[in-house]
Amino acid sequence: MKYEMFDAKKIIGEVTLQEADANPNIVVVSTDSAPRTGMAGFIAKYPDRYYELGIMEQSAIGVSSGFATAGKVPVFCAPAPFVTARPFEMFKIDIGYMQQNVKAIGRNCGFNYSDLGPTHYGLEDIALVRLIPGVTVLAPIDASQLRGAMRTMLRHGGPVYLRIGTAPIHKIFDEEAFVIGEGKVVREGKDVAIVTTGEIAVNVFEAAETLAAQGINAMVVTMPTISPLDEAIIRKAAEATGRIVVVEEHYEVGGLGTAVCETCAKIAPVPVKRLGVPHVYLSAGPYDDLVKYCKLDSAGIVETVKAFIAQENS
Amino acid sequence: MEANTLNELKKFALDIRIETLNMISKHGFGHMGGSLSVADAITVLYGNQMKYDPENPKWDGRDYLVLSKGHCGPALYSALAIKGFFPREELLTINKLGTRLPSHVDKNLTPGIDMTAGSLGQGVSCALGIALGLKLQNKPNMVYAIIGDGEAQEGQVWETMLIAPNRGVKNFIVLLDNNKQQLDEFTEHISSLGDIRRKAEDFGWYALTVDGHDLSAIDEAIEKCKAEDKPGFINMETVKGKGWPDKEAILGNHALRGAAFAGVDEAIDNLRKELAAI
Repeated sequence: MKYEMFDAKKIIGEVTLQEADANPNIVVVSTDSAPRTGMAGFIAKYPDRYYELGIMEQSAIGVSSGFATAGKVPVFCAPAPFVTARPFEMFKIDIGYMQQNVKAIGRNCGFNYSDLGPTHYGLEDIALVRLIPGVTVLAPIDASQLRGAMRTMLRHGGPVYLRIGTAPIHKIFDEEAFVIGEGKVVREGKDVAIVTTGEIAVNVFEAAETLAAQGINAMVVTMPTISPLDEAIIRKAAEATGRIVVVEEHYEVGGLGTAVCETCAKIAPVPVKRLGVPHVYLSAGPYDDLVKYCKLDSAGIVETVKAFIAQENS
Repeated sequence: MEANTLNELKKFALDIRIETLNMISKHGFGHMGGSLSVADAITVLYGNQMKYDPENPKWDGRDYLVLSKGHCGPALYSALAIKGFFPREELLTINKLGTRLPSHVDKNLTPGIDMTAGSLGQGVSCALGIALGLKLQNKPNMVYAIIGDGEAQEGQVWETMLIAPNRGVKNFIVLLDNNKQQLDEFTEHISSLGDIRRKAEDFGWYALTVDGHDLSAIDEAIEKCKAEDKPGFINMETVKGKGWPDKEAILGNHALRGAAFAGVDEAIDNLRKELAAI
């Protein structure tokens, strides 16, 4: 199915600017990359609320925390590894432990920076941030949800990490209010549940149609919030289908798949197959090739789901 | 500085040292060396410079102190208790289960603490963020950060050193408790800071060096910084363990435990006698 495509960075910038018009406390913190994150409009309109610090992500987190103490709502956006892995301890203490009202956006998450290779991949950002108690972790599914998630995030009181790719993003859903902590059943099914997060979900939707044509009815659950996790919807998926496949553009270790396993172990023990990036150092390469390599394209998802069901039935 | 003011500050400084030695020795563990070397800077800040309201620690007219060398919490807790942020008796709860006074300063727990610190280099970035946020609102509040000389080995400190002058912050003063020792060794033997005042000046700060145990000199240095159109950097030459003569400037005085507190009662008595004589 063909969807209209949008520029994710443009959406980030547009919503930030709209919210900044209404909330004078919103400031933007940059480490030499804000215009590339769609903030050009904000910078032009509110130059005094734009803080280009230079290339120093550790201090960007600390300075953002200080802004929050002074009553500001700082928005810091940079490539996902430089927002999470590099300044992890600052994220943990300056944002998480102190529960500061800081909005951190990790763009080019997953292997979105396919031309730049492993140093620029964000394959462990979900794992890192969801380890920090009290930090909301968001991964919108499509353009509409990104818009809603940005708006909700900027109005929410408390620390939030939002991960997003910056390739063109599909518009799949109609716009609706984004509620933190809610997963959604977007397709009913009884044979298997596919739980997914982030923009890779579009491949899951296509895979579900293919599976249906082959007689496998997959429930599809989207999880644009990873922390706090909607455990009730995981239980529902487990009870309705008896088996879960988790699909994400993140290491299979530590991300949504791990979170689902933890939930299933606790309240809904069913077999879970995690389909993400294998826990190895992934090569650079064209994005579509990497998607296929990781079996995160619709054909790979279909193959994985069928093999999982066959293994379970054997 | 007027004689009366100076006398009050001297008494306050002695009181801080007495409480600091008492709380950490009674607990049996604590960062003695740095807490004593930084005591005079804290004295001047809370005794003559900073605006604050112990009844309303979050008063929006307050000045801010970020103790980036967060392990020196005992000295700051002593000052806060003496000034009425919480009862003095509470000082003896340091590091007890459920305490509001962990060894490293904690925004979430302690009235009067605005930033959590403990992992070195982080607090000073947070302090800069507060200063930038206040400047954006054209507020006159001052923001102070105290860092250590060992801490200044952290790269993050130098990020702040670079940003603050570039952003034209002038409501921001960093005080370096240059006690010349870190955990393992003398700082100079590990990774010397060299001419730190000059380095700060080269980064664009208004920078001076003072005797970090001369209350008038610290106060005067802060006044000079406030009059400048740049962020201020005060290199305070201090002695680690200042106020307990047996422990001053000797290696191993960073944190004391158990038997290392032998002789502390006599040291406290001597400080009390000094206090009574003022």
